[in-house]
Amino acid sequence: MTTKIIELGPHQLALEEPMYFRVQLDGDRVADLDVLPGQVHRGMEHLVMRRNFYQNITLLERLCSLCSNSHPSTFCAAVEEVAGIAIPERAEYLRAVADEIKRIASHLFCCAVQANVIGETALFRRVMEVREIMQRAKEAIYGNRMDLAANVIGGVRYDLSAEGAAFLARQMEAMKQPLDELYLQYGNNPALLVRMAGVGVLPREAALEYAVVGPVARGCGIDYDVRKKSPYCAYDRLEFEVAVQEAGDVRARNLVRLAEARQSVSLIEQCLKGLPRGPVCADTLPEIPAGEAIAKSEAPRGELMYYLRTDGSDMPVRLKWRVPSYMNWDALKVMLKGEPVANIPLIVNSIDPCIACTDR
Amino acid sequence: MHIQAEGTAIKPVRLFRINTGSCNGCDVELAVTSAVTEFDVEQLNCRYTESAHEADIVLVTGPLTVRAREEVLRLYAETPREKVTVAVGVCPVSGGVFRGSYAVDGPLERYLPVDVNIPGCPPRPQALLAGIREALEIRHARHEGGEPKRAPGDRKQSDTDNFPARGRLSFDAGACVDCRMCRHVCAAGAIRFEEGENGVRLTLWHNSCVFCGLCSYYCPTGALSVTGDWRLDHPAAHTFRQVERGEVPYAPCAGCGEPIIPAAPQLLHDAFRRPNPDIERLKSLCPACRQQMSIGVPRR
Amino acid sequence: MSDCIKLTNDDPGKNPLSLRERVAAGRVRALPRSEELVTADALTPALSRGERVPEGEVRDGILTGFITKVAAAMTCAAGEETVIEWRRDRKGVLTGWCWLPCGESLLPAARAVAELKGRLAMVTAYLPERGKEKGEREIAYHFDLDGATLTLTVILPLQWARVPSLTPIFRNCDWQERELMELYDVQVVGHPDPRRLFLDHSLPHAPFERLVPYSTFTNAATGKALWDKVLAGEREDA
Repeated sequence: MTTKIIELGPHQLALEEPMYFRVQLDGDRVADLDVLPGQVHRGMEHLVMRRNFYQNITLLERLCSLCSNSHPSTFCAAVEEVAGIAIPERAEYLRAVADEIKRIASHLFCCAVQANVIGETALFRRVMEVREIMQRAKEAIYGNRMDLAANVIGGVRYDLSAEGAAFLARQMEAMKQPLDELYLQYGNNPALLVRMAGVGVLPREAALEYAVVGPVARGCGIDYDVRKKSPYCAYDRLEFEVAVQEAGDVRARNLVRLAEARQSVSLIEQCLKGLPRGPVCADTLPEIPAGEAIAKSEAPRGELMYYLRTDGSDMPVRLKWRVPSYMNWDALKVMLKGEPVANIPLIVNSIDPCIACTDR
Repeated sequence: MHIQAEGTAIKPVRLFRINTGSCNGCDVELAVTSAVTEFDVEQLNCRYTESAHEADIVLVTGPLTVRAREEVLRLYAETPREKVTVAVGVCPVSGGVFRGSYAVDGPLERYLPVDVNIPGCPPRPQALLAGIREALEIRHARHEGGEPKRAPGDRKQSDTDNFPARGRLSFDAGACVDCRMCRHVCAAGAIRFEEGENGVRLTLWHNSCVFCGLCSYYCPTGALSVTGDWRLDHPAAHTFRQVERGEVPYAPCAGCGEPIIPAAPQLLHDAFRRPNPDIERLKSLCPACRQQMSIGVPRR
Repeated sequence: MSDCIKLTNDDPGKNPLSLRERVAAGRVRALPRSEELVTADALTPALSRGERVPEGEVRDGILTGFITKVAAAMTCAAGEETVIEWRRDRKGVLTGWCWLPCGESLLPAARAVAELKGRLAMVTAYLPERGKEKGEREIAYHFDLDGATLTLTVILPLQWARVPSLTPIFRNCDWQERELMELYDVQVVGHPDPRRLFLDHSLPHAPFERLVPYSTFTNAATGKALWDKVLAGEREDA
């Protein structure tokens, strides 16, 4: 068998963002893989040490637009922990609302891109149209379709009026039928099954060894969701099941995402129903003492962790974060091994890789 | 037959995207303009291409990272000479929130000429279409031999909108108390204060602003506010004129005559709800005279 | 064996300033006000009303057992001077903060975490100002223990800092350590693939060692040059 090495870039991988792979082939099958990140490295962990806490809210929201709300909300949670701030209950609910809205839009984008990769253009457009319901909702409530600007230290800086809540509830109603339909499609449509079932398999043991997170882990039967394991915001008062699939293939990962999107609709509805009265922010200009804290959340792609160290000044001494995508790249070696070259773009997109997040 | 048909059909304009290290916000919204009917670039007779050689319009996103530069310049060199280059979002123009990082090498203009800017963070699809339309005008005018005529500062009317998008910031100098909280919280370094002879001048540069509205949130008097004006696309020649500004004039202190920034009525209302005449008098006093008036400490 | 389950060794050691004293002196960190400190001798971890118990090993009833088990494992592996503190937030989520007496104890401690079925979550290197004055730096290894986070902190010299690679134990430590090596002046001994990861080859080594990196001059100049043009345009208009 002939061995050769090929380099693949964003255009070959059908990625929105620049990322390069060096793939070793045995014949036309993948034997090994080297992931070459760094194109989107903006030195952000360095920048945050030269910006104050307020500036970092906006800076971190620009880490990645697909999980943009997870970053400022988790960062604010770390600051609040250091400062001993308990955010108002209403803010806890509103943070969860913002996170879940982003989760639905992010998961749908991932599923849409994969449909496009396998040439299912009609389905791609359909998923993107469904996602538009969320995009419009985001713009109507937050004023932007990607970056919500929802979080501040001490709570949130948006509120839902009765009218706004009713509007959001209507949007959620409009999502239910399309999401149910998409779940069935990604589960049973023969054209998708042929491309996605049994493809890019990550066995459960490998998933544990490679320590993958998020829908990639849950698609391998690993029942781990930060919202359950280490509750934050309002999640300790909301009812939901962790979406788990056993097969570990491309199909399983997408079914986890679509089940989660449907569950997010329910979570938002629960928040709207149980939204406590009261202020949305604790103290607009709190003192941030010296200290250190860890804050975690379940971002659309999985466990997100922030470590904050402060010295009493208004800039962090160190702010480090680890995005979910960071943990999932390595497992592509297992998923791609023995797969034909033609399957590479689909499998890569099936981990919902975020390069802006990874590179920082 | 075949050749004839080709000759009569209108050839679509080819759009080519280059990501120079963006947060992917602009890129995801550009994807929307190829996937969602309402915003499809086909309505402008445009189509995306994966080949740099075919580019009629180049859409550039991101602040241009050091690591991406080589590949970006290679791709750009492959594009035809007569293309029009569009900077999507504020990152390529000013670096946005990423300006000043060791890993960022922008602005893009340092390496290649830009024709149109589409401010926004990210710009909504409507704004992307407006910017692409502007690029098409330039392309058309160049074919005719010239540049499109548009007076500087000609603000296009916003389309009727269902939702108020977070757009251009607006400044009311009359309400400003020169506390500079806006500048303190601005992640993108988009706000400048300059002390002049007659007052303090605020300048907010829309090509650096990321439209997060945090300045407005923390502004104690509402001097800065977010407007719904999202039509900010402009020819690159006007890059540095996209500003909001205002001067907060000095007035002599009613006590000692030193030039001061008087407290705006909004601030007094915020602090005291219903200011009485005594409190009203505070606003035209310098800090030292204010202190003297309220606690009678002699001036140093 | 009973020595093993001691959380800390109160006996003043050979060091002039024991680790515990340094922690107590606030050298290592200040305790956030938001949280209760959980200690092994005073375990009253009652959840407040209305709160649901988080899943996983941090559940109320077995909290004592969990803390004791982790503490025992750490002290066994890293020595009796190991300091470990637990905090529990309003939702019942546990974070453990463990200071290792020396760099050599990192490897055995990491192995012990692996035996506890811990998952490496993140590695953070940093240069605290007060540490720098003393010629020290710190690296924190954050592990997930089924919902609880355990942070192992090692204190290293500022110059010639070396740590053993944890990649042979936790395969997902690979990128964490490659990044650590390119951003800081820290040598990771035994890393299987110590190439640069994110930094462009044209950038100098270890930009995080300097808060003001070499390129700030050019980059600060970028901001200044841009603003000069903005302000020049204004003067023309005026």
